Amino acid sequence: MKRTVFYDKHIALGGKIVDFSGWEMPIQYPAGIVKEHLATRRNAGLFDVSHMGRFIISGAGALDFLQYTLSNNAAALEVGQAQYTIIPTASGSAIDDAYLYRPSEDEFLLVVNASNLDKDWTYLNSFAANYDVQLLNRSTEVAMIALQGPESEAILNGLIEKGKLPADGRNNISQITISNVDIFISRTGYTGEPVCFELFIENAGACAIWDALIEAGAEPVGLGARDTLRLEGSLPLYGHEMGDDIDGNEMPLYACPLAKFAVSFDEVKGDFIGKEALQKQANAIAEYKDGNFSNKAIVPRTIKTIKLIDKGIARAGSKVFAGDKEVGYITSGTMVPYWIIEGELPDVTFTDKTGNRAIGLALIDCELNKDSDITVQVRNKQIKAQIVINNLKGRKPPVALPVV
Amino acid sequence: MAEQGLKYTESHEWAKIEGNIATIGLTDFAIEHLGDIVYLELPEAGDDVTAGTAFGTVESVKAASDLNSPLSGKVTEINEELPDNLETLQNSPFAGGWLVKIELSDASEASKLMDCDVYEEYLKNQD
Repeated sequence: MKRTVFYDKHIALGGKIVDFSGWEMPIQYPAGIVKEHLATRRNAGLFDVSHMGRFIISGAGALDFLQYTLSNNAAALEVGQAQYTIIPTASGSAIDDAYLYRPSEDEFLLVVNASNLDKDWTYLNSFAANYDVQLLNRSTEVAMIALQGPESEAILNGLIEKGKLPADGRNNISQITISNVDIFISRTGYTGEPVCFELFIENAGACAIWDALIEAGAEPVGLGARDTLRLEGSLPLYGHEMGDDIDGNEMPLYACPLAKFAVSFDEVKGDFIGKEALQKQANAIAEYKDGNFSNKAIVPRTIKTIKLIDKGIARAGSKVFAGDKEVGYITSGTMVPYWIIEGELPDVTFTDKTGNRAIGLALIDCELNKDSDITVQVRNKQIKAQIVINNLKGRKPPVALPVV
Repeated sequence: MAEQGLKYTESHEWAKIEGNIATIGLTDFAIEHLGDIVYLELPEAGDDVTAGTAFGTVESVKAASDLNSPLSGKVTEINEELPDNLETLQNSPFAGGWLVKIELSDASEASKLMDCDVYEEYLKNQD
């Protein structure tokens, strides 16, 4: 079993350790999943995400290499920016979803899922010989933490000694120094929070930064709440909303609504793995928008955000029905808490009241929409559910608003 | 810590038997292991329950777990306010967090349940 550089911190904080893709990671701290979720939405949550993979791709051919092996347009990334991207299969599914950062002209950082790290590394290296490119796996040398939530920015500003936070707006990156430790920082995250940061720190200085952030008021958050936060934000998790489906068949990437932000057919990008299949999927999805489902065989089922109307909780694997007809299944689902918030952005006030609601993501027939009557089978009962646009509005800073 | 005078199941329910009526609940061990409880589904008064089979469900953020009846009989009363006051279940599993009361159909089933000391010994072998 592997441990991140923060393992002793997790133990000292009372973290409950579980095996996650071969890593000993905290599923929760003594506060528990619900309180950790709420602390992130109201204040700031601190997450150890060092189990994820961090690859440095450099050299004169780095851009061409990334344009061919990834789905997004890496050339659209200016130095100091990041983008969501996919490692596609030739058939238009996903080997993994990833984040690509461009800290300098000929150097890129690719962050991949812990569960896919070895697979991604082997796969990407199989193309490296064709390019003037160097791949370096720095996953165990560089720590990665996420600081997410409305108070994150004030916490960081109170600690910065040198440098500035990235410019406002998602996906910007910069260099800062805290406690004499250099930090590569981005406005990215996996919680749906509009104010969000991820920090990359050489191992030697990482624990000092962790301590400083906790001292400044950030709440430690485990993998349990990381999952409920991303689910509330309708963010996909590889292996659930992407990759293989419940029957072990490849899911077309465009089944996932976020795919359209991660795939580019720009001329500059040229050919890339999976392009032909992905173009067909993109065309089919565009037709669906006009109510034309004549090519529905290409992406038969799509991921929809749902909420439960009747009492009960939908879980991954629960069957979804429209009338008597089975139309798909729940890919992720649980009960998620929220703060009752008064006022409108940006002048909102958190009350001390909280609620919770059962929500989920479902892979269901692409023709279904918010007016469709659907039910989820929970044990032996059919529970009424509804397709919704979202369960969280996280575009406008400083607060992500629950949709209830 | 489990309480003396109650009977226990391997699936961490307790039963307090008073005459022909048993009050059923979940142990503090179960509560701690479930984590945050977010949903509780209880039967209705008048429902029949059978020893060792599910009469309801308790759900945490991570998972759903069956509530198994320690004894057989008919539900006479449920803790109606509990599903909307789950903190009572978390904070007071042996008192205010009781789940249902049942009228026993076979009082001899109680002899198959664990006493407090046996249950505490049993817990030592749980993770």
